[in-house]
Amino acid sequence: MFQYLEKYRKEGRKGSGGSSGACYVYPDAPATPGIVTPDVTFERSVYMNGSVTMDDGNSVRVWGFTEGGMMAGQFPSPAMRVTEGQIVHTVFSNNGMMWLHTIHHHGIEPSTENDGVGHYSFDVDGTYTYQWKAAHAGTYFYHCHTNTVLHAEMGMYGALIIDPPEGPGTLYAGGPSYDVEAVWACDEFDSSWHSLDWDAGTCGADVGLNDLNPDYFLITGVDGAQSALTDPRVAVSMNRGQRLLVRYINAGYLPQRITFGGLSAEVHGSDGRPFPRPVAVTSLTTHSAERYDCIFAPSRAGTYEVTVEYLDWVDGSVLGVARTRIEVA
Amino acid sequence: MKRRTFLRAGAAGVAGAMAGAGGLLAWSPRAHAATVTRTLYITEGFTTQPDGVDVYARSFADADNRLQVPGAPFIVQEGDTVSVTIVNTLGTTHSFVIPGMVDSGPIAGGETRTVSFTADRVGSHLYHDGENAPYNRLVGLHGGFAVMPSGSGDELYAGSPTFRKQYTWVMTEIDPAWHERVRNGRTPNTAYTPRYFTINGRSMRVPGHPDYGNPDIDAGYAPDTRLSGAIGDRSLVRILNAGMAMHSVHFHANHVEWLARNGQPRADVWRKDTLMLPNDMGSLDVIYPFEPPPDAWPPVTTGYYPMHLHDEMTQTAGGGFYQFGLATTIAFK
Repeated sequence: MFQYLEKYRKEGRKGSGGSSGACYVYPDAPATPGIVTPDVTFERSVYMNGSVTMDDGNSVRVWGFTEGGMMAGQFPSPAMRVTEGQIVHTVFSNNGMMWLHTIHHHGIEPSTENDGVGHYSFDVDGTYTYQWKAAHAGTYFYHCHTNTVLHAEMGMYGALIIDPPEGPGTLYAGGPSYDVEAVWACDEFDSSWHSLDWDAGTCGADVGLNDLNPDYFLITGVDGAQSALTDPRVAVSMNRGQRLLVRYINAGYLPQRITFGGLSAEVHGSDGRPFPRPVAVTSLTTHSAERYDCIFAPSRAGTYEVTVEYLDWVDGSVLGVARTRIEVA
Repeated sequence: MKRRTFLRAGAAGVAGAMAGAGGLLAWSPRAHAATVTRTLYITEGFTTQPDGVDVYARSFADADNRLQVPGAPFIVQEGDTVSVTIVNTLGTTHSFVIPGMVDSGPIAGGETRTVSFTADRVGSHLYHDGENAPYNRLVGLHGGFAVMPSGSGDELYAGSPTFRKQYTWVMTEIDPAWHERVRNGRTPNTAYTPRYFTINGRSMRVPGHPDYGNPDIDAGYAPDTRLSGAIGDRSLVRILNAGMAMHSVHFHANHVEWLARNGQPRADVWRKDTLMLPNDMGSLDVIYPFEPPPDAWPPVTTGYYPMHLHDEMTQTAGGGFYQFGLATTIAFK
């Protein structure tokens, strides 16, 4: 049985009822089992004082991971990029803080201790080194897995890319090549959730985390109402004859329909695994945390407006739209 | 009018369900089709949610003194004649429907009816009450119905990738306001806002909670939901959505082989860690391969991991209580 279980049976319930104090959290920072010298190391700590300015002028509070220190950092959190076969350390520092977090590398499948799910291992209180091996090239992301419903909504995620041995420019080992690359992590905000405390609801208080009513729709941290149409972090400029790889991540909680403005995508894989045969599509309908690797080889110059529709999880109606562009010269 | 006896789903009812189901679905192929005879009692009662709230429910139960949500799972073989006797112990009209296979038509309160049909559609299905749709189905009148290919014990459909074990996961949501309207014979009149999320009728518990580890209550330990295996114990999971919301199903530690969606075999088997589950009786069929977790260093063959929905609203109960939603445990033994 898992070595920490008995301790958590006794200590797992902390604080008291109501919305003050955290319940069902598992603070610890043990030594990493079988720790070795890694091929690559990422340092991450937490900021909880960030904000994103929306196109309507409003500011929405966000949390995330930084490469060091607690100063408000970028949103989404800085990407991790490694090469297939490397042994990776994600050194996560959460020392002396009033809050708990973890890092779950979504789609990476390590040992229980390194999977970053609080109630199966621990919420990091101190510094923990997640050790894992990048077995399969592809598109992943990492996110906090403590009070996940709130922490991932608050923005605690970043891209995670595993290149094949050939390096950037090739999607999978022996697989398709690309010249231009974009990461579109599409997410929706319910700004009414963004004033909650890190442990909101964990003791059983009804804080409305069953009911997401999004009012902002983003692509890779940029408001999709207007800004993402031209923001260079999202919008793509390329030339005819080039091949574009879009690493599309559904980073929200709702179904999404992404439509490529009349371009056809050749989808080569999903969730870090190549397909037996690529599929050609003009749109994709996805759900939370799915990733799709889409290659475009446009033959005609033009401006292609990409739309991401965020869908009601019951009736599929469109709750909001984010837009960006692929400019082909 | 008959005085209603409200039942409570508890250890007795769940234990009965497990005796009928044998935990995970057990199956031995037969050379010939057979006649399968079952009786289902339409019952009502209350289920206790993780925050202590009792919610009204109806069920297709194995006995008339039991509330059993979802109804006891069926597993039959292609070509079998299935004879189901439905005893409606309530005062309201209900039915027994498997789309494309059988529709009993309305069964009035107090009535008993037997339907016979041929199980001619291989794969994973939901049986449900088609009356007062979708409300009767949503308050609990649904269950899993698996049809094995003729003479096969290890395939989803003839020629599919093979498995060693199989499970049926019936997922649903609960909006208690809708259940209360149905209890009072009225039509729900509020926006659908589910507050509880269940897999085979249960939600997750975690260490520190008094019900943690209780297989009658904790979806992480219930043997019909918990995936438990050693390396190589390839497990077919028939994922059925009795609810109204589209969900995202996320497996930790292994990618699954995605065999079918809404009963349709897929042209190519994709390996996925996260899959979109269609709503309103949609389904997915996947094989969890129980391979060593590929990114572990040093390599491991044992461990404990979650399967949970990634539309994380489903990981709550009563608007909070993260970790007490629709999830289960994957145990590498």
